[in-house]
Amino acid sequence: LPSGGTGALAQWVLLELQGEVEPRQSGDLAGSLLGDLHYTCEGVPVLIVGHHILYGKVVQLEKPFAVLVKQGGASQPSPMEPHGHYTVTALIKTKLLFKTRPKPIITHVPKKV
Amino acid sequence: AAMRSRAEVDATLQTAKLNPAELLPAVHCLSFGPQAGGGECCLLQLEPGLCAELEAGRSLIIRGEKDEHAVLCSKDKTYDMKIADTSNMLLFVPGCKTPEELKADQASCNIIHSQIAGFSKNYWELRRCRPKLKKLRKLLMEDPYEGPDSRKDQASTFSKYTTEDLLNLVQASEEEILHQLQVIDACKIEGYWRILDFDYEMKLLNHVTQLIDSESWPLSKVPLCACLEELGSLEPREMIEHILLSYGRKYVDDGEVFFEMHEDKICRAIAQMLLRNAVKFNLSEFEEVWQQSVPEGMTTRLDQLQGLALVDKNSRPETIFLLKVEDLPEDNQERFNSLFGIREKWTEVDITPYIQDLCAEKQTVSALLTKYARSSMLNGVKVYNSRRPIS
Repeated sequence: LPSGGTGALAQWVLLELQGEVEPRQSGDLAGSLLGDLHYTCEGVPVLIVGHHILYGKVVQLEKPFAVLVKQGGASQPSPMEPHGHYTVTALIKTKLLFKTRPKPIITHVPKKV
Repeated sequence: AAMRSRAEVDATLQTAKLNPAELLPAVHCLSFGPQAGGGECCLLQLEPGLCAELEAGRSLIIRGEKDEHAVLCSKDKTYDMKIADTSNMLLFVPGCKTPEELKADQASCNIIHSQIAGFSKNYWELRRCRPKLKKLRKLLMEDPYEGPDSRKDQASTFSKYTTEDLLNLVQASEEEILHQLQVIDACKIEGYWRILDFDYEMKLLNHVTQLIDSESWPLSKVPLCACLEELGSLEPREMIEHILLSYGRKYVDDGEVFFEMHEDKICRAIAQMLLRNAVKFNLSEFEEVWQQSVPEGMTTRLDQLQGLALVDKNSRPETIFLLKVEDLPEDNQERFNSLFGIREKWTEVDITPYIQDLCAEKQTVSALLTKYARSSMLNGVKVYNSRRPIS
């Protein structure tokens, strides 16, 4: 796994969410929006996905990750088969963990009379 | 899909009833990048030290042929690879900033359009393991070097391996491979790593020990130059120096190179030479012949034969036979099966030389015995036998 080569390795961030990621439309995932990521002034990550608000926390990873990209393009039968050439594209030292149950966004709240 | 505007972001905040005043000004609008669903990206969890190695520009290599479990090698360590499943979804986002980074960079743009590069429900986990070095010896034993006069050598060049070849075939880091080559006394001949054929090795050793004897040199001070001069007509100089390096410690005294000969290693080699010739030997006969066969001034001791030969104290008379640890399986369970197949019950003293090399970093022989064997008492002595019935 050669590392990026010249220059420092890019630093990416991991987003950890519960459940599955599915496109809203029946089409491809590529290009579709996930949501808006905000941080409170205290540094708490807030993710708005569809009609949900997720609160999370910033976690410094005890064991960082390397992101490997398989070289050679040609699709192999099992993508997780470790044989082949890989390049380390980036390192991940931080993750945003969203574990709390999403709070639904209520658009119409009937007023109590 | 069109990129979100600030107005759209603010509208969403309002609907969500979030107060912008309580939030940092910058927002990341996350979307899936063009390759996101492709599955070409995967995550590798790094053990301590590996992150620093990557940042220093060093490479990690995944090694293993189709029939082997893949291992990851750094410059000097080897790790087993295993898939770990999480129940969560992991998305990897380039260019995503942490709150600290945003606060530090006050002038940062208000909207950051971030593309998710990929996602996964699992990642590769690493566990430091023993380098798989048995194959190294196996490869070099395909064609042991029998000396310059051997006609066999001139015939073919296949089954000969360069450093590069070994790196590609052996599941271990470069440093571990180079260190093991030294341990097994391999030498480089015409660019290929070779192991000496045992008979040729003994022939070389014999030249040296006979010369030491006839010159009455002290075993701790054998001069290199004189050896090369006297023996250079019999064998290649590189081979003479190689045998001295294999069986002695090189040092310089007053500008001259000498060798302090390893008494234990020489005695051990001679024992191997004697034991190869029969299935087993009468112990006392063997000890007598062995002592007579070693160079003047050397003393033979049975503990020199650890991991090479085994004494059967239960036979009458007591016998000894060749059992080389390097001929036994590399896998822990297979090793123990093999040992219990040879002998049903072992004392810790007897079995230790045959399982010592299985110990992982910080693992003890006792821990191995607890895991792979069952203990019992036999005539007041603690012995170990197999956990499972041996057919």
